[in-house]
Amino acid sequence: MMRAGRSENLVIMASASSIAASIASKTKTKKKHFVAQKVKLFRASDPLLSVLMWGVNHSINELSHVQIPIMLMPDDFKAYSKIKVDNHLFNKENMPSHFKFKEYCPLVFRNLRERFGIDDQDFLNSLTRSAPLNSEAQGRSGARFHTSYDKRYVIKTISSEDVAEMHNILKKYHQFIVECHGNTLLPQFLGMYRLTVDGDETYMIVTRNVFSHRLSVYKKYDLKGSTVAREASDKEKAKELPTYKDNDFINDGQKIYIDGENKKMFLEKLRKDVEFLAQLKLMDYSLLVGIHDVERAEQEEVESEDNEAEEEGESDGGGIGTPPDSPSNTLDSTKPLSPGEFDPAIDVYAIKSNDSAPRKEVYFMAVIDILQHYDAKKKAAHAAKTVKHGAGAEISTVNPEQYSKRFYDFITTILS
Amino acid sequence: MSSNCTSAAPVSASKTKTKKKHFIGQKVKLFRASEPILSVLMWGVNHTINELSNVPVPVMLMPDDFKAYSKIKVDNHLFNKENLPSRFKFKEYCPMVFRNLRERFCIDDQDYQNSLTRSAPLNSDSQGRFGNRFLSSYDHRFVIKTVSSEDIAEMHNILKKYHQFIVECHGNTLLPQFLGMYRLTVDGVETYMVVTRNVFSHRLTVHRKYDLKGSTVSREASDKEKAKELPTFKDNDFLNEGQKLQIGDDNKKYFLEKLKRDVEVTDTCFVLLFFLICMCFVFYNVVFVCVQFLATLKIMDYSLLVGIHDVDRAEQEEMDVEGGGDEEEYENDGMGGGALTGSFGTPPDSPGNPLNCGGFFGPGEFDPSVDVYAIKSHDSAVKKEVYFMAIIDILTHYDAKKKAAHAAKTVKHGAGAEISTVNPEQYSKRFYEFMSNILS
Repeated sequence: MMRAGRSENLVIMASASSIAASIASKTKTKKKHFVAQKVKLFRASDPLLSVLMWGVNHSINELSHVQIPIMLMPDDFKAYSKIKVDNHLFNKENMPSHFKFKEYCPLVFRNLRERFGIDDQDFLNSLTRSAPLNSEAQGRSGARFHTSYDKRYVIKTISSEDVAEMHNILKKYHQFIVECHGNTLLPQFLGMYRLTVDGDETYMIVTRNVFSHRLSVYKKYDLKGSTVAREASDKEKAKELPTYKDNDFINDGQKIYIDGENKKMFLEKLRKDVEFLAQLKLMDYSLLVGIHDVERAEQEEVESEDNEAEEEGESDGGGIGTPPDSPSNTLDSTKPLSPGEFDPAIDVYAIKSNDSAPRKEVYFMAVIDILQHYDAKKKAAHAAKTVKHGAGAEISTVNPEQYSKRFYDFITTILS
Repeated sequence: MSSNCTSAAPVSASKTKTKKKHFIGQKVKLFRASEPILSVLMWGVNHTINELSNVPVPVMLMPDDFKAYSKIKVDNHLFNKENLPSRFKFKEYCPMVFRNLRERFCIDDQDYQNSLTRSAPLNSDSQGRFGNRFLSSYDHRFVIKTVSSEDIAEMHNILKKYHQFIVECHGNTLLPQFLGMYRLTVDGVETYMVVTRNVFSHRLTVHRKYDLKGSTVSREASDKEKAKELPTFKDNDFLNEGQKLQIGDDNKKYFLEKLKRDVEVTDTCFVLLFFLICMCFVFYNVVFVCVQFLATLKIMDYSLLVGIHDVDRAEQEEMDVEGGGDEEEYENDGMGGGALTGSFGTPPDSPGNPLNCGGFFGPGEFDPSVDVYAIKSHDSAVKKEVYFMAIIDILTHYDAKKKAAHAAKTVKHGAGAEISTVNPEQYSKRFYEFMSNILS
């Protein structure tokens, strides 16, 4: 690999690819053209991201030396791998000198990736070829989001309580995935890690992106089926892609135009998912809805072609690049996709609008934020004592069963 | 996705030496070994070479590179317990320096990694000073020596100058080719290891082995040693047997010049030394500087390791094996000793191993870029032989010795006295003269 005489080429290639990477992370030009990097420098704006890249790279490589078992054992759900790096005057350019990386239940998540049709090498490449990008999206309690550079995966920063809850539900979640053959609207959990940099611990969980890695989303909703305080704030509306809520959806007269067959399949999946969540006493989850407007996207593409060389666009957490796909990214299908088209094996949540829809659209809909357990909530509610306006009272009286029913009914309604 | 390689291939590689050994390239490396420490070594080399592949090769080494290290601590819980211990540590000293040295010694990092990780390293019968443990890579290209922490300290002391020396002689030396230096911690126990290129051939068996210092005191193999499959004979044995190394004048000249450079001291300062190096090199007097180098650094007590491959005997042994079939199993001591041991398959080489070159080798033939220390006997030699000769055990520093000698106080028979009065300069001179005399 490091042959005499190629060292210079390697240095040049490394700097060229780092330039390419920094360009890739900033611009959204149509001609984005990603050169495959043989040398992964794990270069990122934030040491935490470098450690994430390094860690995923390490963990997938380690797993490639561990035989795939015929079936998972109970111990696999309690397992972890931990590694601590302490370098001295070595590899200081892109990595911190001291960091720790812990992966929870490696064999379980490897199995889940397989069941969700994700190849470990592809997963590795998505997370390591170039640094994950910051996402404007905010979860509950201001959780931080990143997406993989190719927008296939979402990396969410979670709390240690979330990690504990994940461990509690993991066996049953895995079993559920086995039974539904990976065909679900629940989050596809693909990896769970703890990173320690400068003594600070950060917990991260990787899921498949609900939205498309290619088609941009111009409108986004977070729906719970509740009507209290379900409106986007002014601050939120000022964002590039605000997260609207139930009231906005109703007030906007927003509709989801999908045909009978799609609707039936969707609701069937949703019903099973929501039943599962209720059984586990989980609640406060949402349906994330993203809408891709085909004509609007075509228009935007024409505009960006005109402005191409000068502009640098901000990443909005939605689509990356516009069709046709860069041919050098092996993860994209080989033939270019026409407007509004998608590969259902990659954009698994995508549903086309029906023929009688006023606009040609593609909808991305899935369940998110499933880690809130009822018992934990009740404890917190009792500790708080005071019940603010009607909200606190209403929230603390709804139980998971009721929550799931109300949720399901609301979604059913909006699809008609 | 990852293939499910059985354990059959690596186990058979370490135990049997049948001609039909047939090594399948493993995509999945399980790091399976008879001992946890070997698994950790395999894992560690695999990890560090992979890490280095993500660190760009610098234009030149910096002073900090000679003080650097990488350390990693693994703590697994209910994961990957089959082949590796759950907890272990792996430290690599001066990773950039050794990568650079590997390059200068024309060893590709991927090949290095494969040699040390595709199958577990093998135990070697050989014992160094103080019973240091030896291992060889499964393909016999590299030797792994367990060293002390004092040796590690000494390595750090000489590393800059050693590297400079290697740069100047373009890797053309009889000194050990240091390729990697590690500290492994398993079950709380720390083990230090140094990897060097094997002096002997990865293919041709060595039938007789000598460790020569040029000293005549206590330089005889013990009875216990002689009982081994490939005993290490010494100076007196060599002389008493009338052993000859018939390499011919050209080879001798070339060899001695390398040796001298490695071993002897001159009155000149280092700058002039460099000039001499250039001069010597221009005349292909490569050997000269090696010996000079060691004396300059006040290193002594090194040996010339000599291995002799008897071409006719090897041909005979091969025919015996073919006649005897696949049942026989031979012990492997990793250092090319014994009847069929040391060679990894007999010619023709297994085509499945990409590390063996494409062409077939005739009896007594070798690839000089792989078996870098091999010298053929000259045409008019009595026996058709191949000699492997290089300097080993270069980490004893004179000052450390003096301290130890003074601490010991008592001088046993003549030996202690003689040893403590010879200084590095005298040692190198005596060493060089002895070697000159035994070559013809």
